Amino acid sequence: MESSALARFEAVVLPHLDAAYTLARYLMRNAQDAEDVVQDACLRALKYFEGFRGEEATSARAWLLTIVRNTAHSWRKRHRPDALAVEFDETEHSDAVVRDPEAKETLGRALDRLAPEFREVIVLRELQGLSYKEISDVTGVPVGTVMSRLSRARARLQEALRAEEVR
Amino acid sequence: MTHPSFEAQVDAYLDGELVAGDARALETHLAQCPECTRFRDRRLELRAAIVAGVPTFQAPPALRERVLAAARGSSPSARAPRRFTVQNVWRPLALAASFAVVALGSWTLALQRAGGVALADDVLASHIRSLMPGHLTDVLSSDQHTVKPWFNGRLDFSPAVYDFAGRGYQLLGGRIDSLGGRPVAALVYGRRQHVINVFVWPAARGPTAGPERRTRQGYHELHWTTGDYTYWLVSDLGLAELQDFAQLLRQADSTTSVPASR
Repeated sequence: MESSALARFEAVVLPHLDAAYTLARYLMRNAQDAEDVVQDACLRALKYFEGFRGEEATSARAWLLTIVRNTAHSWRKRHRPDALAVEFDETEHSDAVVRDPEAKETLGRALDRLAPEFREVIVLRELQGLSYKEISDVTGVPVGTVMSRLSRARARLQEALRAEEVR
Repeated sequence: MTHPSFEAQVDAYLDGELVAGDARALETHLAQCPECTRFRDRRLELRAAIVAGVPTFQAPPALRERVLAAARGSSPSARAPRRFTVQNVWRPLALAASFAVVALGSWTLALQRAGGVALADDVLASHIRSLMPGHLTDVLSSDQHTVKPWFNGRLDFSPAVYDFAGRGYQLLGGRIDSLGGRPVAALVYGRRQHVINVFVWPAARGPTAGPERRTRQGYHELHWTTGDYTYWLVSDLGLAELQDFAQLLRQADSTTSVPASR
């Protein structure tokens, strides 16, 4: 890669590496796979970077997150063909997840148990503050679908929260 | 109003995604419907719980280095995924390196916290707390001449209070909050359905360090110290608008020698 393009890549894309890693962490549900996915996604981003014409910082973030999201989904299909099918069941417990000890168990686990299409809208909105339009771009579904998925995802997290309070 | 998409509408409203007309209609409804108000309040609680309990992550330094190396490096074949390179002889080496990374990581973390990240976290937590029902304002008034005197006798300084309603930022009120171990003034402004908390305290008598700009969990924070006062702004308002508001505040401060009292 020539040096000016490299400098631009470093300035435009790399500031969003934490956001990319956070999304991958929640989509893959473990640190090792998340690192692999982000690295893989960054290589793809490099490859397509010449074609990226976004100027604003937010659009660069959405652009990178789109690649991370798609890489994560195809990575799971390739390496864990059964993972998607199991997750839609939503009863799977993710005991293998490495989680920060200070994180609140219940809500984090409730998030991990959500189906990926619900989990990703929560991460994109609540942790990364993307607009509905940006989430729609990243996930490739209409804004109306983003809106209803977010609402359903929150309803489920709220049930988990309430279950915790009752206990 | 309780059709199936009502919940999604309230969510969109809290996310700042409803157009002004719909937002006003929803506010009107919320004002007269305790059940829907409770629903909204539970959503605010959930939001606060997510901020408190669901972490964001920092990309490990080793990952950052690998990505940089790949960008700077050579041919695609040289960029084999780490999975296949960390094998055999490299494994002990990688293990040692990862210990070094952990040590280095916690060290930079400590430095960052000392440098004001902890304060920025406190500011965000205060903002979230203020969004809980009944916590936003101690004095509820859109009149700067009511809000400013309210602080007299409650704080040992008198924060500047401005009314930017003409510019679309309405004064909602104020309250006393606590940051970095000292009482601070919190001025509350609103733009459409977004709440802006402005934290102010004398720069000489409290911590002032912190990032000038930060975004966490969808909230933007802006920070500056000017003259005698330290300012922190936090809101889920779009960054451009929040910066516009910050600009108004700074201008008002620089042009008013005796702020907001006539």
